[in-house]
Amino acid sequence: MSLVTAKLTEEQIRELKAPAQRERLFRTISYFSPILLLLLWEVASQLNVIDRRFFPPPSAIAGTFWQMITSFEIFDHIGATLRRVSVGYVMGAIPGILLGLVLGLSQPARRVLGPIFAALYPVPKIAILPLILLIFGVGDASKFVVIAIGVFFLLLYNTMGGVMQTPQIYLDVAKNAGATRLQTFFRIALPSALPNIFTGLRLAAGSSYIIIAAAEFLGARSGVGFFIWASWQTFAVSRMFVGIVVISALGYFTILALELIERKLVPWAKH
Amino acid sequence: MSETAIEVRNLTKAFYDADSDRTTIAAYEVEFEVKRGEFVCIVGPSGCGKTTVLRILAGLESKLGGSIDMKSDNPPAMVFQEASVLPWLTVRENVGFPLSLKGVSAAKRRARVDELLELTGLADFADALPHRLSGGMKQRVSVARALVDDREILLMDEPFGALDEQTRLVLQQELLRIWETTGKTVVFITHSVDEALTLADRVLVMSPRPGTIIADLAVPFDRPRDVVEMRRDKRFWDLTYEVWRLLASTSPERHA
Repeated sequence: MSLVTAKLTEEQIRELKAPAQRERLFRTISYFSPILLLLLWEVASQLNVIDRRFFPPPSAIAGTFWQMITSFEIFDHIGATLRRVSVGYVMGAIPGILLGLVLGLSQPARRVLGPIFAALYPVPKIAILPLILLIFGVGDASKFVVIAIGVFFLLLYNTMGGVMQTPQIYLDVAKNAGATRLQTFFRIALPSALPNIFTGLRLAAGSSYIIIAAAEFLGARSGVGFFIWASWQTFAVSRMFVGIVVISALGYFTILALELIERKLVPWAKH
Repeated sequence: MSETAIEVRNLTKAFYDADSDRTTIAAYEVEFEVKRGEFVCIVGPSGCGKTTVLRILAGLESKLGGSIDMKSDNPPAMVFQEASVLPWLTVRENVGFPLSLKGVSAAKRRARVDELLELTGLADFADALPHRLSGGMKQRVSVARALVDDREILLMDEPFGALDEQTRLVLQQELLRIWETTGKTVVFITHSVDEALTLADRVLVMSPRPGTIIADLAVPFDRPRDVVEMRRDKRFWDLTYEVWRLLASTSPERHA
């Protein structure tokens, strides 16, 4: 029950709502700005302002895309790429998170193992691909491994950073409540590092697609990367663009999916 | 009432900083006793080592010298200074956290947690995440969590220090009510003379660093206490003056 009856004038309410309305307008525009770019490209390409051989109009690319969808050709490549990325991703993420937790919580482990990982991390993953192909062959195994290596380091460092930022007070609470070391590990350090782990997962998803594209250029008979490379060899530029669009879309949707999962799992963090 | 629950003798704690090669004595020859069921406040300026003493009692910090004797079947429960509520757990899960660590069955846990949510006035927020709660509500969660597994000794480290005065007054009254129903032995740290006199049976006054106990004052007010009404009592202000005089006489600024 309020003791004072308060009422705002119509004008005051309008003024109060104005910033939110402006914000909504710009958000609506933001959905269309990429379409504007495509439109510009289309016109420039049709009028030969830009070279059609390198930048075929989006409508032509869309036509090629549609053919490849109706002939199911593209789905085989998407399937192959997705399989390699997802298996390699999981293979890298799980050990990365677990080891990140250990290194984050244990200073001795950090002192002993830290320098080893720090020395290995800057090695370009693509640079060791020939070596991995030599060891694991040209099949899927080599793709799994090269992606797993890339993903592993991103999760190792992000998880470790997250654990090290765990406020001391949470660890004190656990200790006072009688938590064992293992309980502190999984019930305090892990949830506390979860926002950082998701940052790692998103970064890793992006770099997975970079790595797989390059890996499929070199040693594969299927996959979106292979498809881009094969199109280049026959100078089928429209098909190349289809490949580029598809792999970008895969990356985009993967990151989007991860963000949705993060909202569910980490509702306390600011998004 | 006369049985001793906590006995601290010659407790000394120091910190060493390797970078500057400096040793700091945080607490020096601290001595006090707390009787079973007693509510004792330790009051002192910030940096006097009162939190360190409490953390040593809680087993969160090691001591350098002296002895601590806790006559209790279970380790003391702690209510922390700042928001110590775990942000990824709901209010209910936070309160039940110590029980869940011990593997208490979900049904038993629920019943016990419900009791405490009722006792601390949190029933309506049971399934909320902490970031939706006010500071006062969060500290209620901390108190409920410290009570949930029914330990004999309760250590409170400036639990209401970060709250505004009105909220603090409400929580002090609630704490007194809870203490009167549970009969716990409480050691409560505060820098507020007012808070110490409001809550305690006995107030221990600590000097600035290196902190040591310089006075042990009995607080004579009847129980149950009314945190507002007791301010009409002249003895409240006499004691306030007495504690302030002690604190001022040891202030380093005065001697410098």
